[in-house]
Parts: sequence; C-alpha cells; structure tokens
Amino acid sequence: MPVETEAMAATPAAGSQPAGERPLLVASHVSRHFEGVRAVEDVSIDVLPRRITGLIGPNGAGKSTFLAVLAGTLPASSGTIIFDGDDVTALPAFRRARRGLVRTFQLPSEFAQLTVLENLLAAAPANRGDSLRGALLGKRYWRADENRLVEQARVLLDRFRMSAKESDYASSLSGGQKRLVEIMRALMLQPRVLLLDEPMSGVHPSIVGEIADYCESLRDGGLTILMVEHELHMIERMCNPVIVMAQGSVIGQGTMTALRQQREIVDAYLVG
Amino acid sequence: MTYYLTTLLVYAAVDILACLAISLQFGVSGIVNFSFIIFQAAGAYTAAVLSLPRDTANGGFQTYILGLNLSFPLPWIAATLVGALLAPPIGLVVLRRLRSDYQAIAMLVLSVIASLVVTNTPAFLDGAAGLSLVPQPLSDKFNPYSDAYLWAYTAGALVLAVIVFLIVQRIINSPYGRSLRAMRENEVAAKALGKNAVAMKMSVFVVGGAIAGLSGAILVGFITTWAPSTWLYPETLILFAAVIVGGRGNNYGAVLGALLVPVGFEEATRYLPTFGPPGLIPALEWVCIGGLILGFLWFRPRGVLPERRRVFAARTKRVEATEPHAG
Repeated sequence: MPVETEAMAATPAAGSQPAGERPLLVASHVSRHFEGVRAVEDVSIDVLPRRITGLIGPNGAGKSTFLAVLAGTLPASSGTIIFDGDDVTALPAFRRARRGLVRTFQLPSEFAQLTVLENLLAAAPANRGDSLRGALLGKRYWRADENRLVEQARVLLDRFRMSAKESDYASSLSGGQKRLVEIMRALMLQPRVLLLDEPMSGVHPSIVGEIADYCESLRDGGLTILMVEHELHMIERMCNPVIVMAQGSVIGQGTMTALRQQREIVDAYLVG
Repeated sequence: MTYYLTTLLVYAAVDILACLAISLQFGVSGIVNFSFIIFQAAGAYTAAVLSLPRDTANGGFQTYILGLNLSFPLPWIAATLVGALLAPPIGLVVLRRLRSDYQAIAMLVLSVIASLVVTNTPAFLDGAAGLSLVPQPLSDKFNPYSDAYLWAYTAGALVLAVIVFLIVQRIINSPYGRSLRAMRENEVAAKALGKNAVAMKMSVFVVGGAIAGLSGAILVGFITTWAPSTWLYPETLILFAAVIVGGRGNNYGAVLGALLVPVGFEEATRYLPTFGPPGLIPALEWVCIGGLILGFLWFRPRGVLPERRRVFAARTKRVEATEPHAG
C-alpha cells in the first residue's frame, strides 16, 4: 500500500505549486501483469502540472513498465489513466502522444539512420506532407510546413547546443547526445506531459548537469515532467514530489528529504 | 534480335517496378513482405482473365473464372486495383499484431499457401497448367508479332516504370517518407511520437501491392502465359536480393539492383557452358543469389547505392538561440 507523507507540504522545493492544484495526469489502481508476473500492481499517482515528479526505486521495481503503461506503449491490465480530464486508458500510444502525453525511452531509441535534424522533424506534427496524400501532392503542397518545422527544430538544436550535429546521423552521436536528441524530439510534439525514462543513464557526468538544467528550464516554461531516474542527487535537486516504487507498487511519496527519513523506503531503496 | 532485346527490356521494366515496390516496403518502411510475388501474380491473373475470352473458347482446353474479353487498358487498371485491394486483408492479418520477424514468416507461409491453393483448384485459374493464349494489349488492332509492336510495348512498359519511379520518389522524399524511415528504424519510438504505424504500413502495403499488380499485368501481357511455376515464393527472394544489392531505401539502388540481379545475373548465367548433372546450374544460381544476399548484408549492408543522407539547406536568417535555463 502507498505510504502517503505530509512532506510535500512540509518541504517546499523550487517549482512547487499551490496545494489543491488539479493534476494533469492521474493513474488510478493501474496494474500490468505479464503472464502471472505482477510488474505493476495497483499503482495510483497524481502528476501535478508544471512540476518535475520523480519516480525512483530499485531495478525491477516496475518504474519503466509503469511509464510505458502511462504512455500507452504497453496496455494496462487494469486501472484507469486520466490525462487532462479525459480517460485515455484505451487509447494507443500514438493517440496519447498526439494529445500531448509523450515519453522517452530507457535505452537509446534514436532513429539511427536519420540525421539529427530529421529525428526532430520526424516527430513534428502538423506537416501537410506527413501523409500519403500529402506526399503524392508534391513539395509545393508541404514546403511551407516543412520550412517552418525546420526552423522550429533548429531553434531547439540551438537551445540544446546541438546545431553543429544537425546533419550527422543519430547513430554517430554519443550516449549523452542521443539523450538530448530524444528530449528534443519529444519537445517537437509540444507535449503537455513529458515522461522521461532515465534520461541521465549512461550519460557522461558533464552532460548529466546539462540535462538537469534543460529539464528545469522546461518546467519553468510550463512543462509537466514525470521522470524515472537513478541519479538521486539530481532527483533531489529537481523533483517535487518524488514517488518511490518497489516490487511493482508505490511505497511512498514526498520530497527526497522526507523520504530519506522513512525506514521502509530507506531499506527498500535508499541504503548506501 | 528484336524479340530478345525487347524481352530483356520488358523484363527489366517489370523487375524495376517490383524492386521499387519492395524498396518502398522493405527498404524505406522496414516491412519484410515475403509474399510480394502474390501481389504480382494477382495482377497477372487479373489482367489475364479479364483479357481472355470465356474459357469455352479456344476449344475449352483451359478452365478459369471470368473471361470477360475486356480491351486494353481495363485489364491493366483492374490488375493494379486488385494488387492494391489485396493488401488490406493480408495487412490486417499480418501487419497489425505481429512483430516484423513474424510478419516475414507469416507472409512467406501465405505465399506458399496461395501457390498451393491455385495449383490445386483447376477450375479457378487452370491449376498447375496455368493460363495461356492471353491476348496481348491492342492485339486486335495491331500485329503483336511485328517489331513495331514489340518496341511500342517495351516503350510503354519503360514509361510506366519511369512514372512509378517518380511517384515512389515523391513519397520517399516527402515528410511522409521520413516518417516511414523513422518507423523502420524504431517502430515503438515512432508510435510514442504520434505515428500510426499500422496505418503507415498499410498505406505502403497498398501502394506496393498496386505496383506489383501492374508489373504482373505488364509481364503477362507480353509473355501471354501465367502459371504457378512463374510465381513461386523464391521469386520474391530474387527481388529482395536485388534491392539489398542495389541499395535499400534508394530508388536508384532499386533500379540498379533490378538490372544487376534478376536481369543481369540471370542473363549472364544463361551463357555458362553446360556441366554437371541436369539442374546443377539452376541450383548453383540459387546458391549464388543466397551468397549475394549474405555477402552484401555482411560486407556492404547498405548496398551499392546506399540511402542518401538528407542535408537541409542552411538557414537563410539566423534564429536567435535561447540560452538554457540556469536552474
């Protein structure tokens, strides 16, 4: 059973919002079973707008599975997912993404044989040439959209200091750069909730801080983020609240400071 | 000589069409359509039974459905449509739920089943004996044995190949083509970015099916005969070999592959001196086709003409960079 704490109210962090704000994403009693294995069991969480909510837990806790269920990459075995007031439980991943619920992946998932700029453009919605009909109608039909989106993508590349890599194949990038491409790619959809699955994993320490800066900048710009991460010092710096999962269930939530004081959570995850 | 050259060129046009379709499906979109030959066969059979008179004609030596005796170009248009319409039912079964490797197996099995069904139902399309005496397009107005007819037919086939080339080129160089390539690279990620992968696959399946149907119609109109032995599943493998050798996802590569493998390679082996027991040379041809696929996948997986890198023109005016938030 989830262990609710009063720490959220007791320990405000940067970016905290007034109490009583309507959550943008609500998961109620969500479970995901794989032929008898209960990867996620009866998880209920609220993701508040304009915050970075952390999701931590030991390996095998079900965090990434839960994120996949939220994004629709995996269907829920039971439970409901409400996004901005609408029940999206039955919607496939692509429809949730079009509504603004966008995820990244634990393992690098760049489009390897597309250039960095193409990776961003491939994610961009509202391009008249992005349909068979539009393609057949020819360049004149979609050129204006394409030019607009190229400029939009280049603004992002500038912001993430990746402009020099624009024409490189994504497969040639370092692990950290691939993470940045994934985040930029997700941002091309202008998401309302961004689900980040270990964005700092396997990344050079110098880029970890950079990714954290970007995430905070996005939050301050109004984006809502739910982040699975093992870099606890970064979670502590960025996230409020933090949700702890173990063995498929939520075992606590609050600020990192408060969570560190809970024996059950320390034993389950925070030892060392 | 005219007959040899025109035959070679018509085969080249048909193989180019087939390789363009496979390049779009496999090279650009990542769909391993091992049932491709079914679509070509469906087009050929459609064009044949729509061109042929009733099966009671010609002494009733062959049995088949329809026999509407339609004049050109209706059989070819119908063949293209049947190729396209065959795609949704197969796609709905195969493309929706199966992973790509299982899709490939399912399509291969489908190809074998289709061949067996046609072979064992003689009343449908004359079984293993196949259809013959298929009227050539406009043969009631022109002499189909004249050099002029042969060259005109060849020119028509090549013009259609060029038109299809331009259509496929338009698709793959568009934002939609980019989405197809993204789906090929990582389907799960593409879905998570709002791409309806099933619809996208279905669309290229339909386009590829239409091209295959047209290619079948062109071929049967020229050789005037069509039987299950002409569309066994290994024929698909030759076309895949061509696309792998030429360059996946590059239309010029597909054309080059079509000229090198099904046309060039098979023509070259025709002139080998006979040796060994009967059937050894054709068997060795298959060994060579397999070797070509393995060799290219190992040493040059992107083919002779790889998919080109898309570089966008430099920006015309500097966009103000936004500094990342300091946190």
